[in-house]
Amino acid sequence: MIETVIRPEIALNDFLPIFVSSAFVLIFGAFYVGIYTAVKVEILKKWTMPFAYLFWGLTCYMLYIMGSLMHVGEFTAKALVVAMIGYLMLPHAVYYMQHRVHEENEH
Amino acid sequence: MANNHLTSESKQLATWYFTFAAILFGAQLLFGLVAAIQYVMPGFLFEIIDFSIARILHINALVVWMVFAMFGSVYWLLPDETGIETVGIKIGKLLFWIFAAAIVVVVLVYLLVQVGPADETTIWFITEGREYIEAPRWADFGIVVVALGFVGNLFLTGMKGKQTGIVTVLMADMIAFSGLYLAGMFFTDNISVDQYWWWWVIHLWVEATWEVFVGAIAAYGLITMLGAHRKTVEMWLWIEVSMLFGSGILGMGHHYFWIGTPEYWWEIGALFSALEPLPLVAMFIHVLYDWGKTQGEQNAQGKDVSVINNKPAFTWFVLNAFGNFLGAGIWGFFHTLPQVNLYTHGTQFTSAHGHLAFFGAYATILIGMMYMGIQGSNGIKVMKNTKASIWAVSLITSGVVGMTVSLTIAGYVQVLVSRAQMGATWAAYFDGQSGMWFTQAMDWRLFMGAVTFAGFLFLIKDFLSTGKDAQHEH
Repeated sequence: MIETVIRPEIALNDFLPIFVSSAFVLIFGAFYVGIYTAVKVEILKKWTMPFAYLFWGLTCYMLYIMGSLMHVGEFTAKALVVAMIGYLMLPHAVYYMQHRVHEENEH
Repeated sequence: MANNHLTSESKQLATWYFTFAAILFGAQLLFGLVAAIQYVMPGFLFEIIDFSIARILHINALVVWMVFAMFGSVYWLLPDETGIETVGIKIGKLLFWIFAAAIVVVVLVYLLVQVGPADETTIWFITEGREYIEAPRWADFGIVVVALGFVGNLFLTGMKGKQTGIVTVLMADMIAFSGLYLAGMFFTDNISVDQYWWWWVIHLWVEATWEVFVGAIAAYGLITMLGAHRKTVEMWLWIEVSMLFGSGILGMGHHYFWIGTPEYWWEIGALFSALEPLPLVAMFIHVLYDWGKTQGEQNAQGKDVSVINNKPAFTWFVLNAFGNFLGAGIWGFFHTLPQVNLYTHGTQFTSAHGHLAFFGAYATILIGMMYMGIQGSNGIKVMKNTKASIWAVSLITSGVVGMTVSLTIAGYVQVLVSRAQMGATWAAYFDGQSGMWFTQAMDWRLFMGAVTFAGFLFLIKDFLSTGKDAQHEH
């Protein structure tokens, strides 16, 4: 009879939620910068901007679920928090530069 | 590929590269099908083309057709970007024939000789035996000579002509691309040390230099197909380059988790791999931003026509933005942290990621460049989609996505059964592969592979006939 070994690091039932939550980290993340971009290029109205930040919040939550189920170490957890703060600021920095480039072109 | 409308020798050379790349693309798919059949019927072509040989040909043909198409893309855009003919174009043409002949000989040796006596002669004349870059050592030296000639053409042209942001990025990127190949040309007795250097070629090519190349090509495509503002496009390009190199170089740590390298690679790999999807999101948004912005400006002037002057190429470029994000981003992020990679490493999960990432990130944009070559070669002003081009893009995309989903299911079974439940033992490996979910997934993978190949046939039909289609505007 073949011996069954259950590895202790990740519970068997946690694999699917890990894969799904990691996919949603990027999908929600794309919605955040996507909506932000669409508002900036005036495809969406300005009042939709809070939805962009809502998706950033959901991205953080999904990353939290993923990290918790994986039992990431202390250093990785801190790195992921820094990554999410960086991700929040990233489109602001990009569109600030974009704005300056357009100003240079138009004036 | 007809080239009677081309006055630039560099662009003519580009069409040669595109043509040879398309042939190798077909070989890649054909040997992929052979390997997929062997998963379902293990006796298929036994001792004629064994799985090990079919796999070598499938993967090496993939790498080489992409390198050919990349070289072709650079020769295509150089005259447009620099404003002059490529310097040393005659040497470039000679090197093309040397490169093509060397590849034909290597493929014939793989097919007809297959294995050697497992000594130095095998390494020099048959295969080096390292995944993805199995070419024998004589061919390695040939590749280095061809790459140096190519980089020479690029640098001499870039320094003599106009130095745009795109050319500058390509000059830096291509020297790294060529130089990194050297890290895969020597052996060490210690397998961990050997693999450590081997990843310099594999990872730093596909997750650093190739991605930067895609960023540069996408920038060129957006300017030529949409008329997007160069300053805006190049600003995005510099952001992408800094993000790609910033995360991609040390992101290599995710290959060092389980090969015997020091444990500090866990934290380095985890941190930088987590950052790796960011530039892919940026590239995705960049394409949509420029498309929306340029079309919006056109509409604001009261012109209600599309700004796109090459519909099939642009379709593949947009697919690239989606595919790069999905294949390299999402399917990569699934298993990039060490805690979960312990279970997914070496399963069909990796294969699923590989299929969608190579297709999404590279095949799409390179096919787009081939369409730009066809447009220029036939003097077409506005190129439209044909029935064959729509069938090609639909079948190839659905085929690759279907293969990816099938392989993901197969990989999930392996993660649960072979790794988590049974602890990665010898018996676990076979038990995981004999389950119903795994075998059915492999059946579906074969079917979806056939769908992809059917799409490729439509693509070739379109390549050969679209130039004469009357619906294009000349």
